[in-house]
Amino acid sequence: MESLEYLMKGFLVAFQWHNLLFAFVGVLIGTAVGVLPGIGPMSGVALLIPVSASLTAGMGPEEAAASSIILLAGIYYGAMYGGSTTSILLNTPGESSSVVTALDGYQMARQGRAGNALAIAAIGSFVAGVVSLIGLVLLAQPLSEMALMFGPAEYFSLMVLGLCAVSGLAGRSMTKALIMTVFGLLLGTIGVDNVSGVARFTFDQPVLYQGLEFLTVAVGLFALGEVFNTVLEGGGENEKAGKVGKVTLSRQDLKQSAAPIARGSLLGFFIGTLPGAGATMASFFSYITEKKWSKQPERFGKGAIEGVAGPESANNAASGGAMIPLLTLGIPGSGTTAILMGALIMYNVQPGPLLFEEHPYVAWGLIASMFIGNVMLLVLNYPLVKVFARIIDTPPKYLIPLIIAISIFGVYAVQVNLFDLIVLVVCGLLGYILARHDYPLAPVVLGLVLGPMIEYNMRRALTASDGDFSIFVEKPISLFFLLAALLWLTVPWLMKARGKRVVINEEA
Amino acid sequence: MKKWTGWILGGLLALGMSACSGGGDPFASEKNSTEGYPEKPVTIVAPSGAGGGWDLTARAMAKALTEEKLIKQSLTVENKPGGGGVVFMAEYATQDKANPYKLFVNSPPLLINHLKKEGNSPYGYKDTTPLAQLTRDYGAFVVKKDSKYKKLSDLLADLKANPRQVRIAGGSAPGSMDHVMAVLPAYKLGVDPKKLKYIPYDGGGEAIAALLGGNADVIATDASAVSEYVKAGKVRVLAVTSPKRLDGELKAVPTLKESGVDTEFIIWRGVFGPKEMSAEAKAYWENTLKSLSKSGAWEEELKANRWEGDYKNSADFQRFLTGQEKQLRDILTEMGMAK
Repeated sequence: MESLEYLMKGFLVAFQWHNLLFAFVGVLIGTAVGVLPGIGPMSGVALLIPVSASLTAGMGPEEAAASSIILLAGIYYGAMYGGSTTSILLNTPGESSSVVTALDGYQMARQGRAGNALAIAAIGSFVAGVVSLIGLVLLAQPLSEMALMFGPAEYFSLMVLGLCAVSGLAGRSMTKALIMTVFGLLLGTIGVDNVSGVARFTFDQPVLYQGLEFLTVAVGLFALGEVFNTVLEGGGENEKAGKVGKVTLSRQDLKQSAAPIARGSLLGFFIGTLPGAGATMASFFSYITEKKWSKQPERFGKGAIEGVAGPESANNAASGGAMIPLLTLGIPGSGTTAILMGALIMYNVQPGPLLFEEHPYVAWGLIASMFIGNVMLLVLNYPLVKVFARIIDTPPKYLIPLIIAISIFGVYAVQVNLFDLIVLVVCGLLGYILARHDYPLAPVVLGLVLGPMIEYNMRRALTASDGDFSIFVEKPISLFFLLAALLWLTVPWLMKARGKRVVINEEA
Repeated sequence: MKKWTGWILGGLLALGMSACSGGGDPFASEKNSTEGYPEKPVTIVAPSGAGGGWDLTARAMAKALTEEKLIKQSLTVENKPGGGGVVFMAEYATQDKANPYKLFVNSPPLLINHLKKEGNSPYGYKDTTPLAQLTRDYGAFVVKKDSKYKKLSDLLADLKANPRQVRIAGGSAPGSMDHVMAVLPAYKLGVDPKKLKYIPYDGGGEAIAALLGGNADVIATDASAVSEYVKAGKVRVLAVTSPKRLDGELKAVPTLKESGVDTEFIIWRGVFGPKEMSAEAKAYWENTLKSLSKSGAWEEELKANRWEGDYKNSADFQRFLTGQEKQLRDILTEMGMAK
């Protein structure tokens, strides 16, 4: 295996003592960046570029590039580890890819199983990180070619399949879930349309040109909604959050999580390789897959450990998968990878088809360091679980203000805009009212994420085909996704019609 | 161990030096006259997602300015994507019109967005203070290596015969720069630009992905962005929009003129400030950007990104923009896309 030989040489680079130090600093900062809402991996990496540049100033060009990128990439995947913490403990997702984790993670915390949730998130992230790196080493070339085959038609059909996921996010009523999905899709149409450049529903207000920010809406619905609920219903007093709970996972926990972690890792890795799809999509897909697969889907949303293990593995694996189009094609799939690419170019290392030939030192050094970085992250995060989990012991009268502060700080740090704070509060009220009346909130978020992607890709595909809809069934990959979506929707109905017990939650 | 302390010391030293700024700065005397102005960190906005031409220019600029210690305050690069820059302009020209701590990088879309009918930006370059042009790039018409098109004239002949049989992709919305560039040669030969099949993607990177994946037949993109793919033997460049042949990887590529289309297209990139800028702040940036254009660090950035340096000072840049705006207005009007 030629790749393995190169990888071994890469380890020689990564095990140089200063590169170990760089990797450690990177993952340490990454963890912090992930835990703190507001500073996302993107700004974290961007902020550290000049620092890493001055730290590596005295080295040769290749060594400097390798050391810098080792540090910066460390922040990127380190943030994926840390991102779950506030989701689980405070119902406040720090990154968009951790929104799904809040669904079951927060419920686990309320049942006194915060320690377990955090621990399984760390373990899942570690396994996923390693799996996606192995995939990166062995499958980079064929996968980059597969990712290229994804044209607008394929993306459209994949997103349609994603929308079917709504059935997995529904609470008791499918009708209410559908209402919420459409609401999310409608919110997604606000802003200047990227395909035609026409402004929609903006009422000439510049703040609306960019549309509603996904994270603002999610934090409002979930975190502030919960705050309003506690304050207005006095819910915080009568239910004692209980103890931190054991951090050590029981055999039962591990048994329940093993398969979700494996599936989440693979799913996340493959979705991560598609430019534009990313970690958020991966975590959503993983969650609904787990719910679909589960023998007791009714446990989801009430603190199922699989609902934390799967998505957390998936978003971490996606960050590994996203390195493939970046390194082999020079096409960044997300904001953070675009910044990593900018950093490489700064060192005169052009990511693209020739990277592995022209700069093996940098490319393989980076991949090897990611193996080491993942081990460091596990060692670093596992003991911290106990410390973080203490947060849950805080009485509501301190915890509620803390959540409000974190939400506002987090949203403002990203958007630097008063308007987003108003959106945040409105979404919080909305979240409270909707949740009280049993409307599920996750489909809103799903619609908001998927809406623009579905629309743009559909219009691109139709432009190419002169408005002929058959393009969606003529392309095999696209057809496959559409059929999968169709089966997803019809199979439960057919089974119900035949008198079988239906596994999915339909109308109660 | 010695090496280790070396690194730490080096890092601290570098941090320390940037903190107390320009000790041995050769331009210190020039700066003295404008002492005061940058009292806070300055933000350079790239009004697009990360990774595109504006973003790379802003980052290269920030890096070279910091490296050469031409600025005593820290510089951050901010991305403000959406609507091909319109989103940012709407905010900038209204909320930041007197904020000298926010500059931005732009290129022909600044003019085009203001001229075009759909997705029009109510604000143009006249709502800013053009500070300096920094670089120059050209458009390139790129096909996949195994494409049947070997010469631009083959492609144009096909477009003339049936404008809808070729899928042309670009990194921005219809009526924007990539679109204007993409239809320019066909339009010059008398093909109705409205009949061409143009598919917009989010940025040049996605457009190249569409080309490589066979989801587009030809793309119009920045010449500097394709060299790597040419070197790797993945794509073929049919023509570039420069007046003369380019150097480097694209040396063998004919210009539009050589391909029988008498036109050219310059992708200039420059730095702009807010409309209401004090004389002090304007003078500061004029000096600083001039020093930047002559600095070694900037020279290296140009080389690394395969850009061509083309410095124009504020007054020259403004004159150039006036001429460019007229030319673009004419093209868009003839294409039926002007406001």
